[in-house]
Amino acid sequence: MDESRRTDAGLGAGAGLVGGLLVAVVLAGQGRLDWTQPLRVDPPIVGWLVFLLLNACGGALYGSVYRFQPGRLAATVGGGLLFGLLWWAGVWLTAIPLITATGPGWSVAEASTMFPLLIASVLTWGVAGLVFHAAGSRIIGDRALTRSVAATGVPIRHRIVIVGGGFGGVATAQRLEQLLSHRPEVAVTLISESNFLLFTPMLAGVASGSLVPRHVAAPLRATCRRTTIRRATGETVDHGGRSVRIRSSLEAAPEAIPYDQLVVAVGAVPAFRGLPDVAGRTFTLKTLADATDLRDHVIGLLDRAENEPAPDVRRRLLTFAVAGGGFAGVELVAELHDLVHDVLVYHPGIERDDLRFILVHSRDRILPELSDRLGAYALELLSRRGIEFALGVRVAGASRYGVSLSDGTFISTGTFVWTAGNEPAPLVHSLVTEGGGRVLATDQNLQVEGFHDIWAVGDCARIPDPDRDGQPCPPTAQHALRQGRQAADNLVAAMDSRPQRPFRFRALGMLVVLGHNTAAAEIRGLRFSGLLAWFLWRGIYLSKLPGFEKKVRVLIDWLLDLVSPRDIVIAGAANSRVATAEAAHDPVA
Amino acid sequence: MTPWPEVRRQVRQILVPGSLAGMIGGIAFGAAMVKLGMLPTVASLVRTDSPVIGFVVHLAIAAIGGSGLTILLRGRWMAGDVVFWGVAYGAFLWFLGPLTLQPLILGRLPTWDVTAAQAAYPSLLGHLIWGATTGFALVAIKARSAPPESSSAAGPPPPTVRLRGVVLRGLVAGLLGFGTIGLLPAGSERMLSPWGAGDAAGLGPLAVALLGATLYAVLHPRSTSTAGAAAVRGAGFGFILWVVGGLTLLPLLRGEGLTWSIMDARTTFPALPGTILFGATTALIYHWLGRLARLFFSDDVGNRSPDAGSWGLRAVGRGAAAGLVGGLLFTLVMVRIGYLPKVADLVGSDSEFVGLVVHFVIAEIIGVSYGVLFRRQAFDQSAAIGWGVSYGFLWWILGPLTLAPVILGTTPAWTVAATSAAFPSLIGHLAYGAGLGLTFHALEARYSPWWITRSDAEAARMAGRRIEAASAGPALWAVLVLVAVLLPVVLSPSP
Repeated sequence: MDESRRTDAGLGAGAGLVGGLLVAVVLAGQGRLDWTQPLRVDPPIVGWLVFLLLNACGGALYGSVYRFQPGRLAATVGGGLLFGLLWWAGVWLTAIPLITATGPGWSVAEASTMFPLLIASVLTWGVAGLVFHAAGSRIIGDRALTRSVAATGVPIRHRIVIVGGGFGGVATAQRLEQLLSHRPEVAVTLISESNFLLFTPMLAGVASGSLVPRHVAAPLRATCRRTTIRRATGETVDHGGRSVRIRSSLEAAPEAIPYDQLVVAVGAVPAFRGLPDVAGRTFTLKTLADATDLRDHVIGLLDRAENEPAPDVRRRLLTFAVAGGGFAGVELVAELHDLVHDVLVYHPGIERDDLRFILVHSRDRILPELSDRLGAYALELLSRRGIEFALGVRVAGASRYGVSLSDGTFISTGTFVWTAGNEPAPLVHSLVTEGGGRVLATDQNLQVEGFHDIWAVGDCARIPDPDRDGQPCPPTAQHALRQGRQAADNLVAAMDSRPQRPFRFRALGMLVVLGHNTAAAEIRGLRFSGLLAWFLWRGIYLSKLPGFEKKVRVLIDWLLDLVSPRDIVIAGAANSRVATAEAAHDPVA
Repeated sequence: MTPWPEVRRQVRQILVPGSLAGMIGGIAFGAAMVKLGMLPTVASLVRTDSPVIGFVVHLAIAAIGGSGLTILLRGRWMAGDVVFWGVAYGAFLWFLGPLTLQPLILGRLPTWDVTAAQAAYPSLLGHLIWGATTGFALVAIKARSAPPESSSAAGPPPPTVRLRGVVLRGLVAGLLGFGTIGLLPAGSERMLSPWGAGDAAGLGPLAVALLGATLYAVLHPRSTSTAGAAAVRGAGFGFILWVVGGLTLLPLLRGEGLTWSIMDARTTFPALPGTILFGATTALIYHWLGRLARLFFSDDVGNRSPDAGSWGLRAVGRGAAAGLVGGLLFTLVMVRIGYLPKVADLVGSDSEFVGLVVHFVIAEIIGVSYGVLFRRQAFDQSAAIGWGVSYGFLWWILGPLTLAPVILGTTPAWTVAATSAAFPSLIGHLAYGAGLGLTFHALEARYSPWWITRSDAEAARMAGRRIEAASAGPALWAVLVLVAVLLPVVLSPSP
């Protein structure tokens, strides 16, 4: 119990005593204070004393619940009347009959017998409310305003800055909102390049046009209502100055955001491993803009290919290559396959045989995160649909005409998507240099090694997994979410000098969607595939999508997608980007 | 020491309107006293039995009482809630005056027993009429002297409303509320028969109901609180309607004169649960119509308050958890009074276990509805108890007195005998409501303390809501206490 509540309880006890004394005089005259007789307590003065003691205790309860509120006399008295009714029902109609073994039965007859005590209770606590307010006005006065929950102007004593608005960053902010909800002196700021949390598991659905982009993103201001949101790019961390340098736009001057505790959750960016020309000639699939650009580009290519007279150019325009056989690459190539086949109805000039989909992967099997069996299942299923796989080879380079592979093969394509590797976002470099390593390594409590006030979660961090001999945790959304919550817990524990807890999480399972109502899943060792896994994928991810409204919208998108062909509209602003992209990819342009 | 200009300001703004409104209320109460021949009793306070002197003394007391009310409120109220404050204050004065001070002045010790309360029952009704009239008068005086917004200075300006639309909404809500009660088997008959339904004055109750609904609408033109608070407010208004309309105006209109005896109260008692339900239903419909009107007809887009979606779903979850806690508390009462087989009877069983399951299912449903109707309503534990207990009380009328008999194929148990039999369940409902409200608030405080603000703009908005909550809530809870206190008085057999 905090000090102000103790003060209120003390005042309440006094007020209850005053109210009790006033009615006790009348009750004694009525002979009702010898109520302790059934307990064989003598002399009768004990009845008085116990009555007053009861009132003092009740007053303490009243004071600690109702609290002193300056200028709210009527509310305090009104609350006192209600408290009186509950006091009568709880004490006189229930507890005392129980103690004296005379009840309770709560019948009208009992209530009638106890009616004088009802009047007494209502009067006692009505008067106690008056006394409580008067005493509070004199003793506490306007000091009560400073504890008012709506008070503003509370000086900020501690600043927590989170950089990154992905799963890890948002989970940290949400957990901090819970933990610090009654501590307005701690300010939490979330810095994010976008103003939304992107639900990345559904990004391939956006790229394939089955989902509306806005529906897979939750606004940060709605998700983290009590966090200050800054839309900017975190550039570097100045640990000596305890600040993060951010830039809200390319033209804007950099700005330093001071922190007392910093949470780095900047995620990862595509890593092209120094391959010549690849960075400038590929699509990536990290952001909502990436997904919409890719979708618009593909639909734009179909429009152009239909009227393209040169067979080799037409072939190039209708060839779609994806690098990377992990979850992102496999889901994307399957979804692109669905998209293109679904909209062919609008392009009667294109035959199915004109289309070519290729997935390039450096290993011998796709989906290394899943078991061999499910990996083989996915490979067989997608091959049967006509998707080609170039396994055991790497991308060696890219040009305007296509992609060259490490085995010397050249794939002539107008669409090349890179999902083959990631690296921590640039902000991390400023910390790893100071920390002496290449990645943002943390201890088991998620604290960055070498920094007592910096924490890291998600894809940008290397967090040891105690269940796998200290191997790094995999970069999945389910890990990032839990790491964010744990980081918030440990951060607040550190602020309050309490012991921290190590991060420990056993993944629930893995799910990958393979397009056209099929998926593969491994949940707690159980394997699923086909339509059942597809339902599981949709059900689980729909339930994980943040926001009820977004869930409904995505559900409607999916239902419509089942019964109608996909939309092929290319919005105006995006159209110009497509033209640019086409120019970059099309050797004819 | 308070400076003289401040004293003058307080006299002008607090004491004068209060005394004036108190005297207007006193005239209404005085008129009833004339009819009931109560004035000589009042005159006895100054050692005389002259009715004229009694009336003067009564008016003086009423003026002092009115000033006391405005001092108590200190100008911090929302217009429509003054009526509730007036009624609650009138009841408090009844406890203090006829039941306590009057016997003391006359050299007797107050007994505070049911017999004394029944004997002073006409005086109770008089005090309630006085309180209601004083409240109405204060609203009118304040409306003439200052715009109603002045009472809620903090926060953004309230949405603008048109009187015509408000009255129309009130009438529609009243009509639908009346129709809803009429849907219950013999509901309207039970509610209306003590008011004279079926005779030549059969349209009277509907007229009184519509008048009441319109009055409610005019007193509460803006639906700014939650639906749950509106329902509780409506229930309180239903009680006032029973006192003012059913016990006072209708007998007068029918030329039966005023009796205000305890026997009359027992005769007209079956109309009380129905009228309370009518008030709650009407207020709820009025609230929802207001939301609809704001959605479709208002240009005041800034006052839209989108609070559904996942916030609503979380409220459902918290309501379910709170319902479980409340249900556990209620179970203690249920087991003690052997009520579980009666609950099991709802599904055609007499097993205690089945009764327990049904009881928890009901507790969950009510808990969820509380979460939906009262989310973001209680600022603190005191408000949580207040709203929870009020909701529990409302469900005592709606559950064991109304829906349970209807489900079992009979008519609502609104008679004195049936209500007396269900009285033990009232205590369980109050315990349930307290547990429900406190748990729900604890969960809100733990996971989304919406009342904690981090910016000046947000704090200003919250301050406005806080003033409204602090104004409406305690007055309604006080009226609820009054109804609960009234029950043993009316339900106990007369000596």
